[in-house]
Amino acid sequence: MKPRMCIVALFFLVSVGTAGCHKNADVAKADPLLAAYDSEPDWTDPQKIVPLSYQEAQGKRVFYQQCVWCHADATPAGPSNRSNLTPVPPLLNDGATLNGETDEYMQNIITLGGSALGKSAMMPPYGRMLTAEEIRSVIAFTRAIAQPPYQPPGRPGSQYSAK
Amino acid sequence: MPAEEMGKLTSRMRLIFAVSSVIFLLVLAISPFKDYRREWKQYKRAYVRFAQSRPDTKRLTADYSPNIDQIWLPGMNVTDRCTTCHQGITQLSLADASVPQPFRAHPPIPHNVRDWGCTVCHRGQGPATEVAEAHESTLAWEQPVLPTHFIQASCGSCHLSDLPQTPQLSRGKQLLARLNCQGCHKLPGIETPVMRGPDLSSIGTKVSREWIYKWLKEPRTVTDKDGNVTVNGYETVDEPRMPKFRLTEAELVGLTAYLSAQKAMPLPAYKISAAVVASWSKNPELASQGELRFRQMFCSTCHSLAVTRAGETKLIGGDIGPELTKVGSKVNPDWLIAWLRDPESYLPHTRMPRYGWSDEDLYKVTQYITTKLVDSDLLSSVPKLDPPTDEQMQLGKRLFLEKGCASCHAIAGLNPQKDFGPDLSALGGKNASELEFGAAKIPHNLVSYIQAKLQDPVSVNPAARMPQYNWNQADLDAVTTALLSMKGPPATSALQNLVVPRKEAVFHATGSFAAVYERYKCYTCHKFNGYGGDLAPELTYEGSRAQRQWLIEFLKSPQTLRPTLVLRMPQFNMSDKDASTLADYISMVLQNPAVNPATTDAKQFTPAMAALGKQLYEVKYQCQACHTIGSSGGYVGPNLNNAGSWLTPAWIEAWLKNPQALVPDTVEPHRNFTDQEINGLTAYLMTLHAGSKPQKTAGNSGTAAVSEGAGQ
Repeated sequence: MKPRMCIVALFFLVSVGTAGCHKNADVAKADPLLAAYDSEPDWTDPQKIVPLSYQEAQGKRVFYQQCVWCHADATPAGPSNRSNLTPVPPLLNDGATLNGETDEYMQNIITLGGSALGKSAMMPPYGRMLTAEEIRSVIAFTRAIAQPPYQPPGRPGSQYSAK
Repeated sequence: MPAEEMGKLTSRMRLIFAVSSVIFLLVLAISPFKDYRREWKQYKRAYVRFAQSRPDTKRLTADYSPNIDQIWLPGMNVTDRCTTCHQGITQLSLADASVPQPFRAHPPIPHNVRDWGCTVCHRGQGPATEVAEAHESTLAWEQPVLPTHFIQASCGSCHLSDLPQTPQLSRGKQLLARLNCQGCHKLPGIETPVMRGPDLSSIGTKVSREWIYKWLKEPRTVTDKDGNVTVNGYETVDEPRMPKFRLTEAELVGLTAYLSAQKAMPLPAYKISAAVVASWSKNPELASQGELRFRQMFCSTCHSLAVTRAGETKLIGGDIGPELTKVGSKVNPDWLIAWLRDPESYLPHTRMPRYGWSDEDLYKVTQYITTKLVDSDLLSSVPKLDPPTDEQMQLGKRLFLEKGCASCHAIAGLNPQKDFGPDLSALGGKNASELEFGAAKIPHNLVSYIQAKLQDPVSVNPAARMPQYNWNQADLDAVTTALLSMKGPPATSALQNLVVPRKEAVFHATGSFAAVYERYKCYTCHKFNGYGGDLAPELTYEGSRAQRQWLIEFLKSPQTLRPTLVLRMPQFNMSDKDASTLADYISMVLQNPAVNPATTDAKQFTPAMAALGKQLYEVKYQCQACHTIGSSGGYVGPNLNNAGSWLTPAWIEAWLKNPQALVPDTVEPHRNFTDQEINGLTAYLMTLHAGSKPQKTAGNSGTAAVSEGAGQ
């Protein structure tokens, strides 16, 4: 056997051995809407579509059933009831008002109603109609469509992240 | 071979041997390295590093093992190793979107992920341990992961009745039924629509041959300059249910010849009395009076008309019946009069109620329709059609069967072909290799196939008989989802046991009520015990809710004070007898056992209680946010001006205790009233009367909200 053949054989063996080490080409970037459970057009810019996760989509469903009558400018049944109310309820996507409220506060005001938290009694309590999970999902939907966008509060620092 | 040469050879051999040994060792060393570098092991290590960067490391790594994790459910054919990489799916603290995949928690769904596995819903290859093999289709493993956008299809594979959590799936199934897809295809669980395509046995008496030609060529009669029309300003595009067939000129001539000759069961002509015609025909207000009557009768609850404002064309009105913008150029005027008097004689399965007409109203409305709802250009694109020949008639009859017209439209004496289109009952579980993609340049997977086929049937099969539908993106995705849910009979008996059957809604009207109920087609808009439409409030317990006298007055003159409603209860011109038959049946039969009239007596209420109720209504609970009394208040709930004449006190009390127990979908908040508060509010509401006869200010509940969510 010639040394040259040995080199060829060596190359062959090595290449066969390492072939399996190649990572498969990256999965093509998924379309965010195809990866979303549902979507909602941005209320301030209908051309922009906000993809929604499962939880946000369930929130959207509850919103359009229960909340849309007073917290939106148009409802599936026509004009909104918002203009009839004083104080005027915030639009659900009103980030300037709602981004500052914690999830816990939002959960409380939906569950207990406005009067329980010193706000307008026109906001009824939903604690007996919606489950805690449904209320969480409405809050998640609020956060998803907020304009200006909602920034979640910082996570408490971990002992490892300081490195 | 001499010995010294042997030695030479040996040293060379030794060198070769040494080199190859080194190579062999190297190759051997690669294999543990390769094993260490396996894709799933990298994700395992990445998860540990990720967990260490989180504050709750201990909990996140509590059930960590460096090996392959697997959910094994033999009865359901599940061997899912997805949790090998998706290690955080049950960790609540990993729920938010900032957590990188594959570690994010599964969103909270009604099923426990560990009890069901992953591929039951998400598809893909459970046993695979490489990203590409698990998620995409490979030569050996074909089922790719279902895009989340269509994931509701998986709910529908077991839950055969509609779930509130899956609106896209429900919409898709509704469209499949509405478009009568099961007329040609086998689609289990999709019902035949109440209104199929109209029976064409006497179509020749209704429309002209030219109109049929135009309709077959372009079923949509109203379009704006861009070819679009919006419906009530919302994004749903109301397409005619009739799709577009690809017909040649000769086929059009043949079909129109055959159809326009269908006059098997003509309606008897009705002559409007000469006195009425004489007194109105010269009146310049005839058409405008007809329009007024058309509006007063709320024809627009079922029929829409195109309205152009500021360059934007919208259809205003309901979609239960056809849009009528140009109907005056469509139908034969004599047919129209006979039809309006008695629709059922022409179409036994129609949803159009039989109104009570006076000759005067009939004359005014038909004159309005035939003179105002017209378009002189409607048929201008139709070529001159020569008198039909026998050959054309034969061709038309053959085409009517071959093109599938007979699957939706009946013609007396003609039997449609059985199993006309392909069986779609297992389409949703098919692999790409089982599908015919033809020359279409689309990704070879099931979702792309279904969407291409729906959008342009000939793109994947040039010989397709399926007609052309015009979908918007949302409807296309909804129908795709519904088709993906059709996975055929479950593969194992354990899966069969998981199937949640459809609830069959049944309501049988009986006695003299049945005749009136059929005449006015109450079920088209109202639900009775789960059966019927969802345009208007459910009437299952209407007898417990409304007072009999109010019902009679309402039925004879439906009035509403919900100013936001477009779609309202039509004015049927109902006779006293019909109204009291309905009211009697409703108050006797449509009762809720929990609402006991004996427990509440209106006489027990004192003015003091009513005064307390008024306080509660206006100050503590601020009911005026949603309800109107007098001229102020909101309009989410019904107007309460006439509550004392409309509602029964027993109903108000039961309603305030728990509204959802009586009407599950209502948006009335379920509050925590004390008994005293309930008594007070009931006493107050019972003092509200709008006068002896309900005029425009009469409160009512029986009007249609566009969304059922607006039910009181």
